[in-house]
Amino acid sequence: MTRVPNYVVAYEATAQGREALELGIAMARSTAAELRICLVLQRVTAAPAKIHAASSDFEVLLADQATQWLARVVGWVPADITATTHLLWAESTSEGLIQAAADLDSDRIIVGAARGGLFNRFTIGSVANALLHASPVPVALAPHGYRAPAKVTRITCAIGTRPGWEALLDSLVAFSDGLGVDLRFVTLVEVDAAREKQSPAAAGSTAHLDAVLAYYERHSTSHGIITTEVGTGKSVEDAVEALDWRADELAFVGSSRLAAPRTIFLGITAHRMLHALPVPLVVVPTSPRP
Amino acid sequence: MAQSSASGATPATTTSTSAGGLSTKGLSAGSVGLLGATVIGISCIAPAYTLTASLGPTVAAVGTQMPGIFMVGFIPMLLVALGYRELNNAMPDAGTSFTWATRAFGPWLGWMGGWGLIVATVVVLSNLAGVAVDFFYLMLAQLFDNPGLADLAANVWINIFTCLAFIVGACYISYRGMEATKMVQYVLVAFQLLVLIWFSVAALIHFSDGTAFDALGFSASWFNPFLTPSFSAFAAGVSLSIFIYWGWDVTLTMNEETKDPERTPGRAATLTIAIIFVLYILVSVSALMFSGVGTGELGLGNEDIQGNVFAALAGPVMGPFAILMSLAVLSSSAASLQSTFVGPARTMLSMGHYRAFPKRFAAISPRFKSPGFATVIAGVVAWVFYAVMRVLSTDVLTDTILTLGIMICFYYGVTAFACVWFFRREVFSSTRAFLLKLLAPLLGGIILAVIFATTLIDSTNPEYGSGSEIGGVGLVFILAMVLFLAGIVLMLIMRRVDPAFFQGKTLTKGTSRDQ
Repeated sequence: MTRVPNYVVAYEATAQGREALELGIAMARSTAAELRICLVLQRVTAAPAKIHAASSDFEVLLADQATQWLARVVGWVPADITATTHLLWAESTSEGLIQAAADLDSDRIIVGAARGGLFNRFTIGSVANALLHASPVPVALAPHGYRAPAKVTRITCAIGTRPGWEALLDSLVAFSDGLGVDLRFVTLVEVDAAREKQSPAAAGSTAHLDAVLAYYERHSTSHGIITTEVGTGKSVEDAVEALDWRADELAFVGSSRLAAPRTIFLGITAHRMLHALPVPLVVVPTSPRP
Repeated sequence: MAQSSASGATPATTTSTSAGGLSTKGLSAGSVGLLGATVIGISCIAPAYTLTASLGPTVAAVGTQMPGIFMVGFIPMLLVALGYRELNNAMPDAGTSFTWATRAFGPWLGWMGGWGLIVATVVVLSNLAGVAVDFFYLMLAQLFDNPGLADLAANVWINIFTCLAFIVGACYISYRGMEATKMVQYVLVAFQLLVLIWFSVAALIHFSDGTAFDALGFSASWFNPFLTPSFSAFAAGVSLSIFIYWGWDVTLTMNEETKDPERTPGRAATLTIAIIFVLYILVSVSALMFSGVGTGELGLGNEDIQGNVFAALAGPVMGPFAILMSLAVLSSSAASLQSTFVGPARTMLSMGHYRAFPKRFAAISPRFKSPGFATVIAGVVAWVFYAVMRVLSTDVLTDTILTLGIMICFYYGVTAFACVWFFRREVFSSTRAFLLKLLAPLLGGIILAVIFATTLIDSTNPEYGSGSEIGGVGLVFILAMVLFLAGIVLMLIMRRVDPAFFQGKTLTKGTSRDQ
């Protein structure tokens, strides 16, 4: 049985919502997936005030407005992509999205992550942040001002040396299955500015990358150029900036070992990486769905 | 285009309705039990705030008959609330005086009903903020043991700008769509009840020790509302009582949220009112026994303390623990300030949507999903109203509470009559319908109309309320008239600019029997 993958797009009628949609389009196009465009409305939980039950009018109007927003989104989805729209009520936006991903059997949640960050860089909004702490499926974060390229030409995968990187690779294998994209494996190394550039850490990283490469080639069916790189810098941010980034690439990163099984917890390194990253980032939980 | 709608007929449905998952409506279906609903009811009434704002004006109107007035004052509220519940069940998609009155009476009265609600909430917002300001400085004074700090509240400009800070804070929280969690609400309610009981017991102990300010022996006649000196006094007292129970009706109309929609709302409403009754009687009796009704320094008849009696009485009654009272009233009024913002904002949104207000009011913030523009306008108007009153009135809190009583009578009255009129075709179909859809709201509406007319006429007297006047006419009357006339003028302007609503094109008039 062939299953068509589908991705939940966390939509809201803002720039961030649009960016999420664009990333959804880019990813859906690469992997022949469908989009589930979800708009989550907050359920009324707090007590009403002295004013008599003013909420029922409001809910009807809010749902109306949300339906209009969703109707407009449909116009932005290119013809080659199948998308459905969903209006949800939940206690919180992130809860609604996670619930939707479960109900719709989705493979990823795509969210616009930027919130008031400077220079096209990531500053994580509260919804994205909540998702990064609780989602059982990979979360894709769209940076500020993102627009879908015609084609994703390269995927960069940031690999740590800690145990668990195989899970990230498995997710990557699943995503790039049969794709003709370039792959780049990188490790980020923080070096003291005073020290030599070719530090032992960097040398160890190269050896690690070779092991990663071997693992990947055993499992993957993708075809494209595979490269490895070590990014070095005084800080994680510098190391990220030391690498070149294409406008039409995606980055993958694994979540920290601190996470409860099967949920994401963005590690410190990944978090700092995010701040310097100019391209979309897919964060994979330690133990993805089988 | 390869579009498919996931949801059949209606686009606005959820993808699933799994248990504990997503429900089609915004309300958390079936999540509130009896205790929760009662807490919500008490929290809506905000007893600490309500009592500090209303004890003084009530004593000024009816003297020692205050406990009796508090008891009869509940009757019109109950009668109208029964009608409200029927409207709520009949029109679950509507939820305000505006939509109900428009459906029953057509656009003109409907517009004024909505206007009355907005004005009442804007007035209460400014009063809430005013009380919060007083207690904020009082608490600082108690905290740093520096009475000078409490006097800062008396400085007009400091007062007006502190009030602005409170309103901006509450407005911002509402705009962001943030809501107090249940836990916060439970704690605030428990704390209010505890402090109010503490206050009453302490006042009674002072009385029995002979250390009360102006000991007044208890008399059972206090509970007889018919001993009030005149009908005018009686009407003023009832008008204030409606204010003190304002918010109680919310419990009656909570249906879908409750675990057992058949029984929980009724039981919660009964339990809420029982607790509130006992509390109000306890506090009003103990305050009378401690302070008396004289005009002395701590007397309830003293105009200088009337608008905010706990601010003056908490120290002498509770001693070093008076700061607890400051905390209770401050938290109660601040929480109320925030939750009350939602009311006018949503009513304005609804009016904007049906084109009874300019379209801008219908704007919903795409990020926070709150009525953004309407919320900001509510904040601006509440603050301007407060600032103007602060400059014009010698006792802004008393005068706003009296104006508020008139406004609540108006929009509750309109809604009560709307209920009678909307159900007119079916009231004789059963005894239940006759009682709940005709008799109760009709009686309630008539009582409110009489109270409304009487207080309005009496308020022309310059002695009414704080005694502030303009050209020999009482400030409360002028205020009420300005607010009503402003409504009529705005309505006529709106009629000219965008007649659709007034031609019945956006919201149609009808009765319960049209389908």
